[in-house]
Amino acid sequence: MAEKKANPGRVNHCRRPAPRPPRGPNDIYVNTKTDFRAQLGRCRQLLGAGVHKELNIHGLGLAIGRAINLALQLQVSHPGTLQISTSTSTVELVDDLEPEGGEDMEPGARNRNNSAIHIRVYQP
Amino acid sequence: MENFRRVRTTDEDDGKPLPFINICPSVVKMRVKEGSKIRNLIGYAMSHMLSEGTGQIVFSAYGRGVTKAVTCVEILKRQIGGLHQVTKVQYKTLQEVWEQKGPNVHQPAPCLTVQKNYPSICILLSKEPLDPHEEGYQPPQSLAPIEIGKRTFLSPVKQCTAKKRKEK
Repeated sequence: MAEKKANPGRVNHCRRPAPRPPRGPNDIYVNTKTDFRAQLGRCRQLLGAGVHKELNIHGLGLAIGRAINLALQLQVSHPGTLQISTSTSTVELVDDLEPEGGEDMEPGARNRNNSAIHIRVYQP
Repeated sequence: MENFRRVRTTDEDDGKPLPFINICPSVVKMRVKEGSKIRNLIGYAMSHMLSEGTGQIVFSAYGRGVTKAVTCVEILKRQIGGLHQVTKVQYKTLQEVWEQKGPNVHQPAPCLTVQKNYPSICILLSKEPLDPHEEGYQPPQSLAPIEIGKRTFLSPVKQCTAKKRKEK
């Protein structure tokens, strides 16, 4: 901790991808890069086929807003038949630090937290 | 678009009751916005929750402030243990009035009214137990003994909580 304070967070770092728990066919991980309409279409397909009675939509960090939008759009397109239950959590992320110049420094890792949202969209 | 400028925005949902059932109408509501500082929000919320007689607080945000609101709630839950939580998501409707501008626009300038739907979030945190059957209820997490959050936002308050835990 003291070492980190000595060179405050301006080291080059590389973000490791977020940990993903094993996902089933009705788990949707929302990101900010996929086209929103494609994500919405996929959710509609899953719900409309009648195979799945519920979807779990997960969004991390900046994707929280998108995840909410996705769930609400689903609710709008199935009026009166879908319920939404939301929960929030913290996800621990790991950054790999790359020491600059000096080879004497060990490549380290830094943990940080990010917020996540989990929305359960289901037919009662 | 460049020939218009936004004159005013009105909040259509202003004055609407909060989407929670069985809630005291005078509960403190934190309106988290895009530029709000997390340390200010946490500082106020922390002193409010630690004071006697108040056990509930609501965080609400829309649009790009949503992430910040969730982060605040997560920090607060970590620093004060045993909080019950209810989360609601909904659309928030804002009405924007745009006025035409330019050199050859006659007064009064023609106006354009736009309705915008923003995704919004409302999170209720409570020390007292809440109805577990309400949509979006989350029971308190078992307090992890390891301190996960490395960044401390308010050291004096944190010391207070540490003392409280010791007293228990």
